[in-house]
Amino acid sequence: MKKWLLIAGATLVLAGCGNSNAEDGSDFPNKNIEIVAPASPGGGWDLTARSVQKALQDNDLVTENINVQNKPGGGGEVGWKYLEKKDAHTLAVNSSLVITNNLLGTSELTHEQFTPLAILSTEWLSIAVAPDSPYSNIEELMNAIKEDPKSIKIGVGPALGNNDHLSLVQLAGEYGIDAKDLNFLVYEGGGDVVTALLGGHVDFVTTSMSEVKEQHLAGKLKILGISAEEREEDLEDVPTYQEQGVDMVFPHWRGIMGPPGMTEEEIAYWDEQLAAMAETELWQEIVENNDWESYYMNSEETSAFLKEQTAMYKGLVEDAGMGQ
Amino acid sequence: MKWFKLGMPIFLMVVGLGFLISAINLPKANLGNPNGPLYFPVGISILLIVLSVIYLIQELRKARESNDHIRELFSGRTPVLIISTIVLGVVYALIFETLGFLVSTILFLGALLFVVNGPRKWVSNIIVTLAFSFMTWYAFGELLGVSLP
Amino acid sequence: MDAFIEGLTTSLQPINIMWIVIGGFLGTVVGMLPGLGPATAVAVLIPVTFGMDPVSALILMAAIYYGAMYGGSRSSILLNTPGDGSAIAATFDGYPMARQGKAGEAMALSAVASFVGGIMAVFGFILLAQPLANFALRFGPAEYFLLMLLTLSAIVSLSMGKMVKGFIAMSLGLLIGTIGIDTQSGVYRFTFGITELSEGLDFLIVIIGIYALGEVLFNFLTIDEDSKKERKKVGKIWFTKDQWKRSLMPMLRSGPLGFIIGVLPGAGGTIASMLSYSSEKQISKKPEEFGKGAPEGLAAPESANNAASVGAMIPLLTMGIPGSGTTAVMLGALIMLGIRPGPLLFENQPETVWTLVNSMFIGNVALVIINIVLVGLLVKILDTPAKILYPLIVMLAFIGTYTLSYTAFDFFLLILFGYFGLVMKILDFPLAPLILAAIVGGDMEQNFRMALASSNGSLGIFFGSGVSIALFVLIILSLCYPLIVKAFQRRKAEPTS
Repeated sequence: MKKWLLIAGATLVLAGCGNSNAEDGSDFPNKNIEIVAPASPGGGWDLTARSVQKALQDNDLVTENINVQNKPGGGGEVGWKYLEKKDAHTLAVNSSLVITNNLLGTSELTHEQFTPLAILSTEWLSIAVAPDSPYSNIEELMNAIKEDPKSIKIGVGPALGNNDHLSLVQLAGEYGIDAKDLNFLVYEGGGDVVTALLGGHVDFVTTSMSEVKEQHLAGKLKILGISAEEREEDLEDVPTYQEQGVDMVFPHWRGIMGPPGMTEEEIAYWDEQLAAMAETELWQEIVENNDWESYYMNSEETSAFLKEQTAMYKGLVEDAGMGQ
Repeated sequence: MKWFKLGMPIFLMVVGLGFLISAINLPKANLGNPNGPLYFPVGISILLIVLSVIYLIQELRKARESNDHIRELFSGRTPVLIISTIVLGVVYALIFETLGFLVSTILFLGALLFVVNGPRKWVSNIIVTLAFSFMTWYAFGELLGVSLP
Repeated sequence: MDAFIEGLTTSLQPINIMWIVIGGFLGTVVGMLPGLGPATAVAVLIPVTFGMDPVSALILMAAIYYGAMYGGSRSSILLNTPGDGSAIAATFDGYPMARQGKAGEAMALSAVASFVGGIMAVFGFILLAQPLANFALRFGPAEYFLLMLLTLSAIVSLSMGKMVKGFIAMSLGLLIGTIGIDTQSGVYRFTFGITELSEGLDFLIVIIGIYALGEVLFNFLTIDEDSKKERKKVGKIWFTKDQWKRSLMPMLRSGPLGFIIGVLPGAGGTIASMLSYSSEKQISKKPEEFGKGAPEGLAAPESANNAASVGAMIPLLTMGIPGSGTTAVMLGALIMLGIRPGPLLFENQPETVWTLVNSMFIGNVALVIINIVLVGLLVKILDTPAKILYPLIVMLAFIGTYTLSYTAFDFFLLILFGYFGLVMKILDFPLAPLILAAIVGGDMEQNFRMALASSNGSLGIFFGSGVSIALFVLIILSLCYPLIVKAFQRRKAEPTS
């Protein structure tokens, strides 16, 4: 109860600030706001965009109308190209694809062309096996791969070069395995990957923790490790990679960015509203229901974070054998 | 109208060849079998080329047979209708995102009705155009929440 | 059992009945419109469901899904313009029936067929959900490849008498399916640097182009003659005893078939309806009437695709695995509402599951009524002068296309396929092999390569399980069946000659 009050209080204060800012005579924003989800309705990006819309609007953080625009295609590229030509009333949801698309040679765009505004949430990645699998921890699994990489079938989806894939590349690298030797079966989506594991068609899968959590709790499969900093609530029996002696934390984050050339005033406005939004009860509830985790960073922190991530991904893409 | 019947197998051959050539020139895969992405399209495009040749021979044999539909295609105002629909569609595609849904749809549907239904019935054309443009705009944009330009 | 009763009473609450009716009606409407399928309808409702009771939201979304199966065939029958893959089979005999002045009968029959399939599938759900979910897991890449190959070969074998054209259409469809990023390797194929093509060509554009736009262009050939000899006759709005008798067994056979295929993740209504159509044609005593307005040729696929939509709920609810585009969107929405479909749902919230099952029962009853009432209204579409109706269909085709990926670039593809559809119709090419190949072609190739990757290149994997051997036998049967029939006919014909 106390915690709840605190959050509500913080929200009120922050919301109050937001309103006073608008009254200070700054005329931004002055028309409808548009949030671009660079994907079809239903996926993580779309859900993020619609949740931001809902949380900003229902808490009266932004009084202008907010619309979600779906612009799917090219792993985000279509939507982000669209954003490039807009003003600060348009924002777009993003993720590490805004970095890796360029590294993988599928896009000319880089995150530097846009204005970073915030990182909002993250999911964690995981490695899961069948309950009767001979491997009971990450080390055993990695040693088996090292011995005969081709003999172990790995389920991944929906595309190579995504975080599910690259996090395994990093993990394998830590054990001195050449990621180019791994035997991947690439499925259409996260759900198909889980089905393949349940049906015994692959030996292990690398996927978001949320995809396998329920199955793990039901005893239908076993999560060997997660890429988070610490153990998850409800999954106390699953150790992190770090605990198993691998020095890596791998977030699968989602954030939001604005078009190029935003003024400092506009950046400040969004910093304020998005920070306030991240504190709202509604946002916290959405985050929890989706098995996401709050991962808020403001515009400045995001900017630094993206630089750091770019360097890391550059190495991983090379290791994966997908560098250009 | 013989060229129309023979045009199809030749067109299909060109499509098959186009796919075959671009398939052979696909970049090698960095992961897994380097030729993995190549086999299937190469196989299918060869199949398409072979089938088109058989089809061409079949058509040459019965070149004299007449096809009612082809006759109709070049008679009356059919060619005008088909070409105008295609041209108007292209124009619609070009103006849709700049002029916005409502304006471009009114122009497109109105023009199409004038061509198909005839300029004589201009009153009903205009009524139908306006009514349906607004109706779809409202149904898709407002009720179903589809983001229209 | 308690949970079942509790589910029944929950689903009978007036508010939930209201959601069932609203969802069913909305589904019927979006099913009729080209391109705008149940997946989009569910997705745009996500913000609305935020404020709803999660169970009501689940009921509403499911009702949209199977409501779209009812609605999908309306435009197939009336205008030969299916709105989605699963409605294509309804054009084969539904549209000829409409042309013969039996539009009302066809629509009533297809509504009842959907009902029969839906109800059978709901019972199947109650009795078999868990074992079937486990059975579906046995489908690996090899089995999926063979299932898709079976569907393709069954459809191509339908184009008897014009086999070469059938195979050409199939190859074209398969090539269309290869456009876009190659999942196994990440290589971009045939995109020519166009970003919009990088995730492949949406098969719905092919459907809308070839069927909706192509059909209008094709009708322009005779537009000035047609308006003189008005085809006002729409027939009765109820089917005849003879039509019912012919359709009953095919419906009862197709329901379970569709249901089982629906349970397989990724297979879905298109494959279900196509397979049921072709198998009914093959076992029919009057196969020559198929494609010319045979009532059973309409009833069978309609029963199958609705049963498949119920079957698709099984992997979603028992394993949390979406088996189709729509259930994928539903999964996202449910998670946001705090319902986590998966193995624990049956254990922790059985009443939620049974409420849904009961609501599907009620929903199918409501939908058959809604759709039969709508028949009287919908046949009026045929009264609209063709010269006004066709421009309107063209406009709807464009807007439907826009809703697929929100870019006017797709309009160019639509026009391209519309023109190509016209040429195919003029030259008497079968359309179904092209569409079906475009739908399943991509997955077929990927599954083939995954199967080989998992067996380290050995083809033995395609005979590695009971399921795959059974599928193989069916493929051989479906390919040889026309030959067997021909042989029999010849033998019969010989003594008289």
